[in-house]
Amino acid sequence: MTARDFTERDIHMALDGELPAEERAAYELWLEANPDMKARSQRFATDLAALQNSVAGVLTEPVPERFERLLSGEKQPRSDAPPRWRMAAAAAIFVAGGLGGYLLGISGWGSIDAAASQLAEGAIAAHTLYAAEKLHVVEVGADQKDHLVGWLSKRVGVKLVAPDLTAQGFELVGGRLLPAESKAAAQFMYQDHTGNRVSLYIISDATTKETGFRLLEEGGTRSLYWLDDGYGCAVTGTLPQEALMTIANSAYRQLLDGMKG
Amino acid sequence: MDQRRAAILAEIPRLRRYARALLRNRDSADDLVQDCLERALGKLEGWRTGDNPRRWLFTIMHHLFVDQMRREKRRGETAMLPIETSEAMAVPAYQAESVASHEILDALQAISPDRRAALLMVAVEGFSYAEAANVLGVPAGTLMSRIARGREELRTILEDGSRRRAIRVIEK
Repeated sequence: MTARDFTERDIHMALDGELPAEERAAYELWLEANPDMKARSQRFATDLAALQNSVAGVLTEPVPERFERLLSGEKQPRSDAPPRWRMAAAAAIFVAGGLGGYLLGISGWGSIDAAASQLAEGAIAAHTLYAAEKLHVVEVGADQKDHLVGWLSKRVGVKLVAPDLTAQGFELVGGRLLPAESKAAAQFMYQDHTGNRVSLYIISDATTKETGFRLLEEGGTRSLYWLDDGYGCAVTGTLPQEALMTIANSAYRQLLDGMKG
Repeated sequence: MDQRRAAILAEIPRLRRYARALLRNRDSADDLVQDCLERALGKLEGWRTGDNPRRWLFTIMHHLFVDQMRREKRRGETAMLPIETSEAMAVPAYQAESVASHEILDALQAISPDRRAALLMVAVEGFSYAEAANVLGVPAGTLMSRIARGREELRTILEDGSRRRAIRVIEK
């Protein structure tokens, strides 16, 4: 068999099962002789597996009833609202358009991530600074909770509550006002019976973006943060991620209730 | 339920998987699947039972996807995007998704719809190049270059992402 020249194109064909079986052996030899190409092939294979895994679970999800009804001939009324996928499709165009800038490193995942990670960085810096403080951990103590919450709400510009985290084993120590870019941030500090501290860091966010919970780790300090309608919050501490998650879930609900109420 | 409807029903899990990877958002994806099923049911008479229902359905869904992308593009992206972006980026509530899955699905949203569709058809749905080219309505050479560029883009985004310290996205 005469070995033909292989190119990067063959890497894709091999991954996608399009490389003729009789060329396979020569292709493998070519990979061995070209470490760059081998590395690329392995990287693509890893991404391919991740991609397949990421949606593999969808196949075993039960088929929504509305689809079964549709196919059995029962007319399924549709809402008048524009289908959500159209909006998502539009967003996809936008995201793709932003890709050039992204690849050049000009912007991150876009402004959402930039804003959100600034929030987390600020929260971690503030937590690291004040959680280590023995005497002046807070500006206003929990004994003046109403005053503290009212004051911080006014300065931050968000209707705040100091979430009750006793179910998670944490008592409010108090809070303080902090600078955050050109705005103000509120920090509520909590402590458990062993002296472990967790803080909530909250800023106003006028952009009505929403994110899921995200995690930023820096030097053993973790911050779970999110942007929601009108505000951003970061729950920061050295606790394991699961414990932070429980606190973040509780804080999220209480902050939301506080803003509605 | 007749044979044809049963054949369509059997393809729903795959249609949902493809739509989910294509659009990221679960509800948006299922809306696309529903559009596709409605269109398919409307054209049922034109479909011969001997034909492969999978290719037929994926073709219908792809047309719906492309039409909509074009329409939105004409309508002007900037006006409606600041709001919509957050929707696409938002994490579906309580979705059990690993960090790796989250990263790759996010990265996928950042590559062009054409490349995304080509890559998913072959890499996830297991269509051959010839079948995928047929469904997407492009020559095989175009399909191949979309796949190659799509993979390359995806790799760049993921590598860039992993360089960015330890920011990880986890579910809400």
